[in-house]
Amino acid sequence: MKKILIYIFLSLAAITFLYPFYWMIVASLSPESEIGGLLFLPSEFTFASYTQMFSKIPIGRALFNSILVATLTTTGVIAFSSMVGYALALMEFKGRNVIFYIIIFTMTLPFQITLIPNYITMVKLDLVDTYAALVLPFLLNSFAILLFRQAFLGMPRALIDAARVDGCSDLRILFQVLFPNIIPTIVIVGILTFMNSWNEVLWALIVIRDESLMTMPQMVTLFSVGGRAESQLGVKLASAVLLALPIMIAYSFFQKYFIQSMASSGLKE
Amino acid sequence: MPEVKLINIGKTYEGGMQAVKDISLTIKDKEFLVLVGPSGCGKSTTLRMVAGLEEITTGDLFIENEKVNDLDPSQRHIAMVFQNYALYPHMTAYQNMAFGLKIKKVPKAEIHKQVMKAAEILNIEDILQKKPGKMSGGQRQRIAIGRAIVRRPKVFLFDEPLSNLDAKLRGQMRIELAKLHKKLDATIIYVTHDQVEAMTLGDRIVVMNQGEIMQNATPMDLYLNPNNKFVAEFIGTPKMNFIKGEILKIDGELFFKNNHFLFNISKVNNQQLENHIGKEVDLGIRAEDIYAEVGNLENYGKVHAQIVAIELLGNEKLIYSELEEHQLVAKFSAEQEVQIHTTIDFYFNLNKTYFFEKENGKRIN
Repeated sequence: MKKILIYIFLSLAAITFLYPFYWMIVASLSPESEIGGLLFLPSEFTFASYTQMFSKIPIGRALFNSILVATLTTTGVIAFSSMVGYALALMEFKGRNVIFYIIIFTMTLPFQITLIPNYITMVKLDLVDTYAALVLPFLLNSFAILLFRQAFLGMPRALIDAARVDGCSDLRILFQVLFPNIIPTIVIVGILTFMNSWNEVLWALIVIRDESLMTMPQMVTLFSVGGRAESQLGVKLASAVLLALPIMIAYSFFQKYFIQSMASSGLKE
Repeated sequence: MPEVKLINIGKTYEGGMQAVKDISLTIKDKEFLVLVGPSGCGKSTTLRMVAGLEEITTGDLFIENEKVNDLDPSQRHIAMVFQNYALYPHMTAYQNMAFGLKIKKVPKAEIHKQVMKAAEILNIEDILQKKPGKMSGGQRQRIAIGRAIVRRPKVFLFDEPLSNLDAKLRGQMRIELAKLHKKLDATIIYVTHDQVEAMTLGDRIVVMNQGEIMQNATPMDLYLNPNNKFVAEFIGTPKMNFIKGEILKIDGELFFKNNHFLFNISKVNNQQLENHIGKEVDLGIRAEDIYAEVGNLENYGKVHAQIVAIELLGNEKLIYSELEEHQLVAKFSAEQEVQIHTTIDFYFNLNKTYFFEKENGKRIN
């Protein structure tokens, strides 16, 4: 009996989360006139909102930009953060712990604090309105460094010694010996980074003006609130669906790792 | 001639901890040298310095007349076998063995030849495609040894390779290692805390304690002629018995006096004892040199003590008794009738006794 109550409660909670998504998708496929109601199913399905959206904004280009930026950022974070994590976990040098604590400290700083200095840096480097502006500031990530460091600390020391005797350089140890053994960590870092990069809108709004370089969230935001959707709700919703879709697909594939990452956060000592 | 020379080697860690103090040692070509000692004695650190995995703080290390202090492990022509095998978990046995050669860019055909040769020596051809996770401890250790053989090193380094195996397998692998040494004609430095392993495997044994060499000798020499109390106690099972006492000279004859007994040690062939008259010393005697009956003993001392425990080992038994603060252990044949909690006479063969200075444990002889 108690179990049934719990299930009912959880189901209701799940519905409150799922319904807005469901509504968004269904509404984007409904004729414009029917969107107002809290409908379950429209009288007919139509792709009118989508075709309109494609004709109004270069959403295809934005999708490409988003994928490019997110992929570059993710690859960069995995490569560079793992190197830093490796150094912090396995190399001995003076000030190692101090550096580690400083890196951890940066996790407590909200992005908004570094927003202006970062922007000024981009201006000085003449990188405004380039892909580099979207990728460079995100290539290192303290959380990813922490995750990698912990993963490397968990590896047996002798494994690294054996690799050294076999003649491996540090880079080879990292990528050929350790990487194949920390795949869950890599996947977690990959998903989190990809998601963060995909959803980043504020930074893109600041450093990108050129429409051909805009990412999806930026494009959709400008489109929805910038007036070009001409208060057509269906078109706005269609763009929102397109924005959410890749993440939802990725989530369904990597769900197992994703929940693991949220549950453990890699904070095993 | 791959000869390894350690000259005044020392290791001091950050913070001042001295793990190894000024060790000098030569490992001859084709020699099986065992470094043995209790944990924390610096034996593994010494081995890791030879391997190049640990920086040498002071001193010089030569392998085949080449100073290698500043060379990377891979350039020292060594191969190492680790206690926990340290196989790459994501690679098959074959790939594990081939990895080092692959990095050296050895041609594939040559790698294959070397791996198959090593696999044949170790009898592991049938598990080459397995990953370490699917192997038993013994198989993993074989692969780890195979990985070392494939490198064709000048010196093999073994860091407690058998400690993770169960007792039966350990005995088996010990014999195989001894055979392997003959087969490969290799120079081996082998670290262990197990004195049985050291005694059975080593051509020569170096006993270490607190970062220093206590004695460097052949197994039998260590057993029969320990330099000091530490070595006497460390080598041999059960441990050597030690009894505190004093050397006295009465009527021109030498005696070893304890609260319980007085041994006449005039006939003990030891000129140095004369120099320790009136001094406190430790008398050492091995379990097998204590008897239940006089038998053929000519030069003996008698001790009266109560039996507190008996361990039957099959063909022999260990008799434990207590003498004040000393615990005595004697090794009798299994036929010898003794009852626990009874008091009996123990006969010490005084010709097989050792004497050690009380202050520093140095042997008096």
